[in-house]
Amino acid sequence: MNSILQAREGSLPRAAVVLGSVLLLGACASTPPAPTASLQAAQRAIATAEGAEAGRYAPGELAEARTGLASADRAVSEQRMMMAAQFAEESRVEAELASARTAAVKARDVNDEMTHSTSTLIEEMQRSSGVKP
Amino acid sequence: MNTANLSGALNSGSALIATAVAAILLASCATAPSKPDGAAEARTKLTQLQSDPNLANRAPLAFKEADTAVRTAEQPQADKDLAAYRVYLADRKVEIARAQAQTSLAEDQRSVLSAQRERARLDARTREVDAAKDQVVTARAESAEQKVVAEQARGAADAARLAAASSEQQAAELQRQVDTLQAKPTDRGLVLTLGDVLFTTGRADLKTGASGNLNRLVAFLDKYPDRTVAIEGYTDSVGSEEYNQGLSERRADSVKSYLAGQGIDAIRISASGKGESDPVSGNDSAAGRQQNRRVEVIISNPAPGIPAASLR
Repeated sequence: MNSILQAREGSLPRAAVVLGSVLLLGACASTPPAPTASLQAAQRAIATAEGAEAGRYAPGELAEARTGLASADRAVSEQRMMMAAQFAEESRVEAELASARTAAVKARDVNDEMTHSTSTLIEEMQRSSGVKP
Repeated sequence: MNTANLSGALNSGSALIATAVAAILLASCATAPSKPDGAAEARTKLTQLQSDPNLANRAPLAFKEADTAVRTAEQPQADKDLAAYRVYLADRKVEIARAQAQTSLAEDQRSVLSAQRERARLDARTREVDAAKDQVVTARAESAEQKVVAEQARGAADAARLAAASSEQQAAELQRQVDTLQAKPTDRGLVLTLGDVLFTTGRADLKTGASGNLNRLVAFLDKYPDRTVAIEGYTDSVGSEEYNQGLSERRADSVKSYLAGQGIDAIRISASGKGESDPVSGNDSAAGRQQNRRVEVIISNPAPGIPAASLR
């Protein structure tokens, strides 16, 4: 029991140290490959937002997501892969925000419309009962 | 990723070594770590969102991601660009969590709104029905002239309906009923004359067994519920004018009571006494006086589509 715990506790930080060292050294030294997965994820998130009419309901966020993706592509072409990965991630998160805000606005619009139609009904009732002889 | 693992390892004994290695590695890239700008604001936004009773616990996954992102942003980071990038991500993830929670809240509120709208619709329908009832009452309260106009309109509608449907058949049926009743079509309507055989001389109550013709009238009125009747009592000239007036009124009322007792709505029946004022024959002979002692029942003509003139 004890030995298993020790083995776990020992292996985790060691792996972290190795991984961390590789990443940090990598940042300082050689150029990593292009962040293809992140770029694709950003593209998909933008497409999803567009499909949900974010262009109408959250145009600012969608535009920012597109700008981020363009910046990521430019960074790739400039061989700045760390930057490219960050831009791609920013773009994806911004596109997700565009989708989330679009959904929120749509949900609120539906509720507003329901509230409006209800109050219109009530107003009409009051008006017609006011005219009553 | 690596920083999180490093912090998780702080508890263990080997953490010291890990920290030392990380510090050396970080130092090799940049200067000493500093507190990231904007991380505190992201934390404040998240805390506010988490303490909003309407929004907290609504989008648990997004809240968790936002919390993780804020924690990451709060890590000391010497690379200012990386720190700013993490703060930016944290801020956006808090906003995503907020938007998702708002969506969830709106969806929950919808059932309440839907119930409110249904209630309003029901109220509106109820009021429409009430208004229609009011209109009926108003129409009833209209002046006699307007009633005549309405009657004519209804008559026209009836006529149209009759023409469109089996007008001939209905006319024939009415004719049969009128024949059974032995009523006479006039400009005032169908006039049914009930002789004095209904009453004992000088009395106003109906004779028992004198109801045959009246029952045919009841059957007729049952069949034509849109028709109203005016009952008029007449006497001969024997006796004082006042007495005859009263007697004629009481006899007309008797007939009205009888009809009402047979289930004819009293609203459809009016009764009046004409006394000796309008004889149909001379009062100088017994036969003439007998003809003058009578009750006339005038049945309204609601349907000009079947004009009285078309009846025999």
